[in-house]
Amino acid sequence: MPQAIVDFFASYGWLLLTVGKALFVVMFAMNVAVILTWVDRRQGAMIQDRVGPDRAVIWLPRWFARGAVTLPAFGVAALVVGLALLDKAERGDDAISFGHAIVVSQLALFMLWLTGAALVASAKKRASASAVDGFLASLGEPRAIVVLGLSAQIVLFLAMVLAGEHGIGGVLRDGAYGGGVLLLTAAILAGALYTAAAMRDERVGLRLIGLLHPAADGLKTAFKEDIVPPGVDKLMHGLAPLISFFPALVVLAVVPFADTLCFGGSQAGAHLDITGGLLSTVPAGAACERGGFSLQVADFDVGILYFFAVAGTGIVGAALAGWASDNKYSLLGGLRAASQMVSYEVTLGLTLIGGMMIYGTLQVDEMVRWQADNTWGVFVQPLAFVLFFAAAVAESKRIPFDIPEGESELVAGYFTEYAGMKFAMFFFAEYIAVVSASAVMAAIFFGGWDLPFVQRDGIRVAFGDTVLFTQQLSHGIVVLLGFLGFVLKVLVLCWLQLTIRWTLPRFRYDQLMRLGWRMLLPLSLANVLLTGALILVVQAGGPGLESALSVASDLSKAAIAALGVVAWVVFLLFVLKPAEHRRLLTSTSARFAASLGGTPTFKMSS
Amino acid sequence: MANTTAPLGPKKVVGSVVPRPKRGVGVQTYVPEIVKGLGITMSHFFTNTKEMVLGQRNDPVLEAVSDGINTVSYPEQRRPYPARFRGVHRLTHRPNGEPQCVACLCCSTACPAQCIHIVPAEYPQGDPRRGHERFPREFVIDELRCVFCGFCVEACPVDAIRMDTGIHPAPYDSREQFIFKKDLLLGFKGRDGSQQSSNPRHEPGDPTHPGVTREHHH
Repeated sequence: MPQAIVDFFASYGWLLLTVGKALFVVMFAMNVAVILTWVDRRQGAMIQDRVGPDRAVIWLPRWFARGAVTLPAFGVAALVVGLALLDKAERGDDAISFGHAIVVSQLALFMLWLTGAALVASAKKRASASAVDGFLASLGEPRAIVVLGLSAQIVLFLAMVLAGEHGIGGVLRDGAYGGGVLLLTAAILAGALYTAAAMRDERVGLRLIGLLHPAADGLKTAFKEDIVPPGVDKLMHGLAPLISFFPALVVLAVVPFADTLCFGGSQAGAHLDITGGLLSTVPAGAACERGGFSLQVADFDVGILYFFAVAGTGIVGAALAGWASDNKYSLLGGLRAASQMVSYEVTLGLTLIGGMMIYGTLQVDEMVRWQADNTWGVFVQPLAFVLFFAAAVAESKRIPFDIPEGESELVAGYFTEYAGMKFAMFFFAEYIAVVSASAVMAAIFFGGWDLPFVQRDGIRVAFGDTVLFTQQLSHGIVVLLGFLGFVLKVLVLCWLQLTIRWTLPRFRYDQLMRLGWRMLLPLSLANVLLTGALILVVQAGGPGLESALSVASDLSKAAIAALGVVAWVVFLLFVLKPAEHRRLLTSTSARFAASLGGTPTFKMSS
Repeated sequence: MANTTAPLGPKKVVGSVVPRPKRGVGVQTYVPEIVKGLGITMSHFFTNTKEMVLGQRNDPVLEAVSDGINTVSYPEQRRPYPARFRGVHRLTHRPNGEPQCVACLCCSTACPAQCIHIVPAEYPQGDPRRGHERFPREFVIDELRCVFCGFCVEACPVDAIRMDTGIHPAPYDSREQFIFKKDLLLGFKGRDGSQQSSNPRHEPGDPTHPGVTREHHH
């Protein structure tokens, strides 16, 4: 690389990274919010036994669709082979790494049964048009293939772990690695080629499980007329959606997305030098020696207070919209929004006081670190989590707390007089508020980027001083795992909020106020009191209690990990359970359908 | 004879007082009820999503009584109509492919919407049917005007017009496209694929013909 480029990155690389992470956070929030708008509708449909929006389609020419399926598959296959060759070149005549062999063989078996089951299911559905289809359909039930594949995965894993790295275990390891690379490549290529060959029509519809709907809706609102009714305060009417939209987005600045990245470069000037690349490993429990790059947009000292300050600003947008619209329904909605959000803001702040007392900090990054060292916040502050969740749903003005909108009472509440993109901004702000509330909840109550037993230098399963299992991982992989864990937590919390929206009816106005002031507020005060008492007890408890708490925190992490395994098993059993439907032929139309082998389905080609 | 008239005044209430249902702590705090409700919505969500993704959803007609998604995804999926569904009309054929219609104008007379237009014509000189029956030179149905009452089918003496195609009138772009002419009507098939009339004609000269000729009457 030319020296000029290296110098440029040494001086300004940190700036690029900083701008990049801010952009990433904004894009993450907006994209998740866009997807949520669709998930919300689709989930409502699933709950009400309807199909929901899944019809938006882009037609692709067949050659293009075939290329789009096969070329990436060839790329991935080449990557697998290339990585294997690179590994071979790096290792020379040394033995194959045991960890690599396990990962590669498990991945290969997984891809094999997944592709196999999908291909067989598709071949059965297509009523065997060709010899390949006939062969695939004769392989058996997709369900049996899944069970067989999973058992093979478990058996191979156990055999490899039990046989160890030497003697017969060494042969097993080499065979699993070589066979794994071959099978992985074969499974990827076979799946892609079959899919491409199965495209028989002139054009192929790209539906992305219906995800094109929010894109179409966004495009539509961008081109819609922006109606500004006569009599409105033009400036305020235009400003309100911005004030509503902006705070929901910038709240995410204080939430860390992953652990601090440690760069190994020399500290050239006042700023971080990224040219040295990431450190390969970072010892557990240690801070970065020189160049740490925090994956948090703004590392304020005030931390979580920034969240309250900015989230509170959102009220102004709703109230302003109601006032500026010159409409009695808007005004009522704006008033309701203001009173509701002010009420719940109090609970929102007070519930976190207990957490701040325990974590001993206001900085979200430090809070996550405390949870990584001890246990997740939801175990030490369960009541606070429930209260915070309720208050956060109320803050986002969504069902069951949607009285500011209240379409059965106030037309559309504070955004009655908005159309086009301005309406979309209000609508969108609601979903972004869901994402940011979920991110804050994940960071404060669910350990942020912390995953059970994942330390900064790898996986270490230990209870107290008893170490059960350790596996070294490189720094980049650990940070990536943490990031994926964080995203998963955020998505689950978002989904929970959407499910609540489809479950509960709207509160009446007085019920809402009573819940806020007479239930949640006293409970959050009691939580502060209780937390204080518990902290005093722990401080007075001495070393015995301390070691007991340490073991309890390890057990809580084990419980989370066990819950993850149980969830995975339950999910598999649920997916593998055959669907049971009762047939009832009472009408002539049902008999016609039965004689056709089911309700006829036509291909819509235009 | 006992006079059993009801006594005057309000009716006496028979039965016992039903106590108000007790609202326990669970209902009062609202939390267990929320969890219960979430359980129900989640079970619907997971089951239906799984069945959609794995292609196991109900057949919307055959399995309409089971739980799950029973929606007919209309343009792609179409519910077969009942056997007696009155769809778009068709004109039935004779064995030689000619229209069965004898242009008697019964259908156009019976039609309450006056959507059938027939121009009858005589068979050419020398045809044994000349003088007995006529044929439609033009047979036009305005499907947009039709009310699908089926009176035309009832009125037809020779099973020449039927509404058993199982086709519902498509949404066309213009009124002209709803004017169905003779050739189009003759082109439709019944649900069973048949085009012939099931009421065979007994023409003069056929062995089945009863022998009644115009000469008998005059």
